[in-house]
Amino acid sequence: MSAPEPTHPLAAHAAPGRHGAAGEAPLRVTLPPRDIVQVMARRGRADALAEAARASFGLDLPHAGHAATGKDATAIWIQPGHWLLTAPRGVEGALAARAAAAFAGLAAVADQSHGRITIAIAGPAAHSVLARGCRLDLHPRAFGPGRAAATQIAHVGCLIHQTDAAPVFELTVFATLAEPFFHWLMEAGAGAGVLIE
Amino acid sequence: MLRIPCPHCGARDEAEFAYRGDATVTRPGPDGDIAAFHDYLYARTNPRGWQVEWWQHSAGCRAFLKVLRHTVTHEVRAVANAAETLEVPPA
Repeated sequence: MSAPEPTHPLAAHAAPGRHGAAGEAPLRVTLPPRDIVQVMARRGRADALAEAARASFGLDLPHAGHAATGKDATAIWIQPGHWLLTAPRGVEGALAARAAAAFAGLAAVADQSHGRITIAIAGPAAHSVLARGCRLDLHPRAFGPGRAAATQIAHVGCLIHQTDAAPVFELTVFATLAEPFFHWLMEAGAGAGVLIE
Repeated sequence: MLRIPCPHCGARDEAEFAYRGDATVTRPGPDGDIAAFHDYLYARTNPRGWQVEWWQHSAGCRAFLKVLRHTVTHEVRAVANAAETLEVPPA
């Protein structure tokens, strides 16, 4: 018997279409399915780990507050010596297995694909919507594409990763808190209108 | 409201941190008597002035930090990683 297809925690809450006000520039929301793997460097092996990441994933492990995208995966700094490695959803467990093989002896690897989910928001309303619940300054002079920050939004621990200057933000939260977080996002975006794609 | 300059994340709101108390107390050795452990657990100097404190950036990078804070003015003068030592300036 094969493993069941994972159920998206927002499947019953994110019906595609327009929500809130009928503005001309709504907040565009997508739920990109991701594999998410946490990589934790072993003590004293940071240099070898960086080399392995370059060889296996074609990326330089980013330093604090940044993200880096390689040929088929993105690494986001989350805490000293720790990164989240993400890639578009593939075969169950494959990214974690690939990371575990590449980083054997250099880092501990934990599959978070079922534990965290990513919500992408885009459009000119994104800054003002995030400002309703996020304490960080996300203005282009202080933040921008390739930047990432671990913080709280609406009391929920959230990893913010800006992927485009348009702007596009990818918000990664714990799956168990995705429903209240998404409810907050819908409320915060109601003024501008929300388009779930 | 404090803004604490996390050495990893930059200045962040106090609400992202968990306060863990005086960072200068040291745990007695395994041969320490009950009085030594009592003092370690409960006895605090509660200074009026500069104090080195533990603050964990629990909603950010999760690092344990030492923060030199003035208990009257709330000025934060220095922040360091857990393994580093912060000197307490004279009041």
